[in-house]
Amino acid sequence: MERTLSRLIARRWASVREAVAHFVYGLTGFEFARHAVEMRHELEVVFMVVTFGDLVGVPILPPVYSLWLLPHVVPEVATWKRHLARRKDFWEKEEYDLHGL
Amino acid sequence: MNTLLAVIIGALTVYLVYTLYARRIDRYVIQSDPQRATPATLYMDGVDFMPTNKNILFGYHFKSIAAAGPIVGAIVAAALWGWLPALIWLVLGVSFIGWASDYSGIVISVRNDGNSLSGVAHRLVSPRSRTILFMFIFFYLLVGSSGFVSIMASVMESQPRTHFGIIVLTAMGLLLGQMLYRWRTGLVGATALTVGLTFAAILSGPLTEGIFTGFNTALNNLTGGAPLITYFDPTAAGFKGADAQMMPSLLFWALAIGAFCYAGSVLPIWRMAQPVVYVAFWVSATAIVLGLLGAALASFVKPEVAQFVIPAFKGWNPQVGPSGIMPLWPMLFVTIACGAISGWHALFGSVGTARQIENESDMLPVGGGAMLCEFLLGLLALLSVAVGSKGAPVAAFATGLGGFISVFGVPIQYATSLAFAAFIVIVLVVTQLLFRVMRVTLSEWLGEVVPPIKSQHVSSLICVGLAIVVVLTGTWIYIWQLLGGANQLMAALALLLVTVWLASVGKNWLYAGLPALFMYVTTVCSLFVTAYNLYVNVYQVNAAAGRVAPVVGSALLMAIAMLLVVAAVFIGYDGVRAFMRYRKRPMVTPTAAPARA
Repeated sequence: MERTLSRLIARRWASVREAVAHFVYGLTGFEFARHAVEMRHELEVVFMVVTFGDLVGVPILPPVYSLWLLPHVVPEVATWKRHLARRKDFWEKEEYDLHGL
Repeated sequence: MNTLLAVIIGALTVYLVYTLYARRIDRYVIQSDPQRATPATLYMDGVDFMPTNKNILFGYHFKSIAAAGPIVGAIVAAALWGWLPALIWLVLGVSFIGWASDYSGIVISVRNDGNSLSGVAHRLVSPRSRTILFMFIFFYLLVGSSGFVSIMASVMESQPRTHFGIIVLTAMGLLLGQMLYRWRTGLVGATALTVGLTFAAILSGPLTEGIFTGFNTALNNLTGGAPLITYFDPTAAGFKGADAQMMPSLLFWALAIGAFCYAGSVLPIWRMAQPVVYVAFWVSATAIVLGLLGAALASFVKPEVAQFVIPAFKGWNPQVGPSGIMPLWPMLFVTIACGAISGWHALFGSVGTARQIENESDMLPVGGGAMLCEFLLGLLALLSVAVGSKGAPVAAFATGLGGFISVFGVPIQYATSLAFAAFIVIVLVVTQLLFRVMRVTLSEWLGEVVPPIKSQHVSSLICVGLAIVVVLTGTWIYIWQLLGGANQLMAALALLLVTVWLASVGKNWLYAGLPALFMYVTTVCSLFVTAYNLYVNVYQVNAAAGRVAPVVGSALLMAIAMLLVVAAVFIGYDGVRAFMRYRKRPMVTPTAAPARA
């Protein structure tokens, strides 16, 4: 009985600690992580358009290097096309900058 | 009344609203379904749409919505009407309107494929509502940035102890950006260095006060002690109104803030805006957390800083200036915005947070929970000014907050220095972001018609210039109330949109519809009152004295107030028509919600 109770308390304590850690991360480091992802994504978009632009209607004759790269980018193709095709409102482009208003 | 009782009222409000009202709406009206796929899971692209843990998102959303609004609003309202009306509005506002607006902003986006409020308005209400919203946002940003620049310039001119901390904060922000993104330093080490140095600079404020006092005096001596502009300020002399003077030092600090905001607007986000906000967060969060704990403990540890010293109620219609009116309704409801309800929260929630919601059951803790925390921030500001003795409202706030922090053994002059710095830091970073978004809005709005505006430098300079012109009215209180009016009107429009959506899907719309109606009528009336006050207290008095700058500024503000009213009437008309249409014939419900994988 005692052991069960102490286990329960320990589990609760661990989940509270995890929740607080996540909350603090959301307040602090998460924005940097998001921005880093955004910066990487921008570079990836340029790379994808240059190499596989024909997938979204940009007339590019794929060189042999594109074919070599194809297996590596296949997992990204669906999300990349979806991202490019989505209409964005003007403030969404600066969505990050809206923080703190 | 003391702070402990107020903290207990605040905690009870949060608990009761969340458990007894918000959860019921979530369960029985919105019927959030953990099994339904959210846009984050359906359209995951790794960037905009990304399922995120609810606790992380809660912290992120709270940080995104918490800013200067709840602080300045509570300070001004307590000074005008007393602490009791301000407390009642904070409690009732967040209970019945505030959380519902924030939460619904997320819900409507999650249930509409992650579309923003303007996108949903375009589809459900009318195509022109999106365009009107666009113009609305620009003027909202203009008024907001002007109000903050005006308040900050006055505080910085009168509080030289804060200057060194702010200068070091800017330098540390730039250093942090360089360390994180160029030198690839770890976040913990970079934070310890930059935030530590910023704290040291802020706490040494009293030591450097003499240097900056001398600097301000030297600036004022450039004109032989003569003012640059003399204007009638209806808030001077205890709200009786008196001539005020704009000295060179105030203009210098206004221009310095303008330059700071210009840099934040045109530099890459990682270079300045983001790291400065991050360093500022630690300063303000420290002051706020210590302040909240101090407010709760003060009754036991230091009772002399826990007693309210300002009157509970000062009157239904306090006199401001020679002929102005300041009726409690509608003006209190726009003076205190963010702590009770804010339109910007819903807008942000719909474009940012909603696309990261992993599970529909997270919508309430993230959206409603963050707004209830924001209410606590507004409550802290109210407590600080209520115990903060006499003096200008901001000084009273800093004195009160400093008193709470001093409960932990920090000497009162250093604690007050930290409180002043926290206030300025919060306002400063918000203003920087306001200019950045305003620049983007202006470019998008007029860039096609006037191509030079597409240049970020041109559009930023126009925004800063316009804000300085507005600041020249010298009537910060009306700028602030105009901002509150615009912000609350946006909340009313967001709630109206939620009402239309609820009607369109055949759900009970009352929890959003009644607050929408109340906020709509209140804010439109408040815009008329503000325009009237500007006319009788600023335009007429200064025109009679032949002062050009405040006359031009007040005329501009009156025009903005009327433009906002016209925009609101158009959106309101379209919204009500759409609502009637959907009430008669709800839209065909889409096919069953996609099951989660």
